[in-house]
Amino acid sequence: MKRIVLFATVAGLLLAAGPARAAAVVGQPAPEFTLTDSNGKSHSLTSFKGKHVVLEWNNFDCPFVVKHYGSGNMQKLQKAYTGKGVVWLTVNSSAAGKQGHLQAAEVAAKLGERKAAPSAYLLDADGTVGKLYGAKTTPHMFVIDPQGKLVYAGAIDDKPSTDQADIAGARNLVAAALDEALAGKPVSVATSTPYGCSVKY
Amino acid sequence: MKRFLPTLIAALVCAAPAPAQGPSGDSRPAGPSGRSKNVAVTLVPETTSVAAGQVLTVALKLEMAPEWHTYWINPGDSGLPTRIQWTLPAGFEAGPIQWPVPERIAVGPITSYGYDGEAWLLSELKVPAAAVVGSRVQLAARIDWLECKELCLPGKAQLALELPVVAQATPDPTHAEAFAQARARLPLPTPLWKGEALAGAKAIALSFSEAPGAGAVEQFFPLQLELVDYAAPQEATTAGAGLRVVFSRAANPAALPATLEGVVRTADGRGFLVSVPLREGAADAVAPPKARPEAGGHGGAAGGPSLPVALGFAFVGGLLLNLMPCVLPVLSLKVLSFVRHGGEGGALRHGLAFTAGVLVFFWALAGALLALRAGGEQIGWGFQLQSPPFVAFLASLFLLLALNLLGVFEMGESLSGVGGAAPRGGLAGSFWGGALATLTATPCTAPFMGSALGFALAQSAAVNFAVFTALGAGMAAPYLTLSASPRLLKWMPKPGRWMETFKQLMGFVLLGTVVFLAWLFGRQTGVDGVAALLGALLLVGMAAWAYGRGTAPGAGGRSRLVALASAVLLLGAGLALGMTQPQRAADVGSGAATSGGLQWEAWSPERLAELRAAGRPVFVDFTADWCLTCQVNERVALASPEVAARLQAEGVTLLKADWTLRDERITRALAEYGRQGVPVYVLYGRDASRPHRLLPEILDAATILKALDETL
Repeated sequence: MKRIVLFATVAGLLLAAGPARAAAVVGQPAPEFTLTDSNGKSHSLTSFKGKHVVLEWNNFDCPFVVKHYGSGNMQKLQKAYTGKGVVWLTVNSSAAGKQGHLQAAEVAAKLGERKAAPSAYLLDADGTVGKLYGAKTTPHMFVIDPQGKLVYAGAIDDKPSTDQADIAGARNLVAAALDEALAGKPVSVATSTPYGCSVKY
Repeated sequence: MKRFLPTLIAALVCAAPAPAQGPSGDSRPAGPSGRSKNVAVTLVPETTSVAAGQVLTVALKLEMAPEWHTYWINPGDSGLPTRIQWTLPAGFEAGPIQWPVPERIAVGPITSYGYDGEAWLLSELKVPAAAVVGSRVQLAARIDWLECKELCLPGKAQLALELPVVAQATPDPTHAEAFAQARARLPLPTPLWKGEALAGAKAIALSFSEAPGAGAVEQFFPLQLELVDYAAPQEATTAGAGLRVVFSRAANPAALPATLEGVVRTADGRGFLVSVPLREGAADAVAPPKARPEAGGHGGAAGGPSLPVALGFAFVGGLLLNLMPCVLPVLSLKVLSFVRHGGEGGALRHGLAFTAGVLVFFWALAGALLALRAGGEQIGWGFQLQSPPFVAFLASLFLLLALNLLGVFEMGESLSGVGGAAPRGGLAGSFWGGALATLTATPCTAPFMGSALGFALAQSAAVNFAVFTALGAGMAAPYLTLSASPRLLKWMPKPGRWMETFKQLMGFVLLGTVVFLAWLFGRQTGVDGVAALLGALLLVGMAAWAYGRGTAPGAGGRSRLVALASAVLLLGAGLALGMTQPQRAADVGSGAATSGGLQWEAWSPERLAELRAAGRPVFVDFTADWCLTCQVNERVALASPEVAARLQAEGVTLLKADWTLRDERITRALAEYGRQGVPVYVLYGRDASRPHRLLPEILDAATILKALDETL
């Protein structure tokens, strides 16, 4: 009898293990991944259970990224929210030889120059995680709640341009999503169209 | 000519101003212009003057350097549309940009909509009736654009036109043709088209019952953002007077608008502006278009084979299935049966029944695969043998067949239909023989078959059935040929005592298959599992024996009843024991192992990514214990001394993806390589920017060494 129960359980598990979607879907569990950061340390999404996590797709040579780092906008967000216990993961999916690709050793200098303060800078040169999340642009922003559910995917703000002057009048959608998520409220604008350069897979 | 010239105000440009570009063959400046590094922009008025109360059309001409592009109003996955901000005298009104039909620009997994070469963006400026004839007006525009090749640069320019106000504006003949061409590139309005759009959870179908003038449609460019998965393939079909385009919804789709708006583009580059009511249907109302198998992991597009080629491969694959060790015994039995029914029309009838059995089973398999695929199951070829209860069932079945061949029991004529492959069955026996042959053949992914199946499963249901039909036809072909030409049958040996010998010999071959299945079952469930299976087979064997005793000539009525009852009980108990035993063995599927002096690591997408990031060469072996081709390749080719030494010398990391039990991640990874079954061998060189290489399904040392030479 015990065996029958065990078998039924195994069979049930096999059947229940549904397929994962190719892209991250808001309202569903964020796809699990493990990536190595610029210091050689490995990070898994599961290890951040219990915390809010931000994924920021990055390519420092892209004019849209320059807009948000040149103005200090991105750094401000990173400091404000990591200060509130949010884990901020900057991900670089530029393939070797493509624009924005960084070797682990080059990252510290780039971050230092810009006074950037992500929790970790993750290297995804073969684009596995970028494609897993369907990251299209730099920047492309994702917010994951403490239960591991994706609660925001899209643009950094609602003024698609490379012009730093536009930041002042823009509504920052990531900050809005994080503020609501941190307050335990549902995110009112949970998706938006990301804008930026294409990710250089 | 000179008197037509408007006064031009030199362009003020963000970057270094460059000399203005004139239209081809004309050195005269076309209008105020500016440029960034890769794009030249020029404002071109259609007339050399403006008239009060009339409309002036102004073109923004964008000339892109080779391979650079700018964007459409909906840029797609990335990019920004070009913007024009007018500063006009009082009373002037500027209309929106009239966007020409865009191109689809795909770079890797990112798809954008835009223009390369040269694009003319037209805007209409309304001149107020109060404009004073004889005065001059200045029309200034700030232009912002994003230019991208693979990388992107923002560009901007501040341009201004100064034109005289006259009673009747004079067209500028130099640009008449260019404007005519620009207008021809605008999407046409479609007041006579009748259509609607229906949204499922994953896809939207845009269909028109009448679409006069459309011709061959290529694809749909949505004007609305966040609605469409731009990179996914679209399915455009023409039906009678109408047309239909099916496209996938975005992964994080926006709320559905009430109307769907966009441009339908034809194969010859014409476009039609459409706006139709959009209705939300059931989740499965629209099936998303099938993706073509993506062969290159790094955009190295090799595409799949074309349909005729795939059908040819499938046919040859089917033929070769006959040679597979797991099919050969069953088919030999069929040859025996042909001999028995030889001559007259009997053989042909049996041949056709056999063919029908093969085909029906292939169709059933195709149907089941399609149904499961539709249900989102992550499965692939050979999946039947990933289920331990199924393996146990198959082992019991083969044991019964073997015992039957060895003469332990005989099937009564009445049972022959049900008795499956028993050689003495009637037409039904031939039919079931075909079905059984197929059942046992499926796990052997023969050469050619992987590619054909990968093609089939990624295609529409109709293509899928066509490929499976070709497979079945190939498998049944030799038998159908034999049975159709009695002359060929004459070459077959005459019936005689040798047949009994051969039959019994085949019984042992079938027992060999049972041994293979028991080993497989053991790999899946461990040594306790295989002991239970052997116990179960013992009971099944006893059941067969009891049945044989009970039905033997001379057995009395009572002993016959007792024998039959015990046979049923024993068989039931055996099957129950065999099929309820399975539990996952701890070490199956981990993949980590040492074999033939090679150190294997367990495959995972993360581990592969990690190694690739570190610039390490990697060899991935997608395998399964039930795949005989895999076993042979691993033992003969991969473990050969020169290959092993070379792999070690080059520092190639060996990853083994073990598909013995069902594993969704492996199934997905196989699909990414355009395959549905094992074996699949993938070699990654040190240079991460170069595409990976797929090795053939049948390996030898020379092939591997050559691949290593060329890829690392």
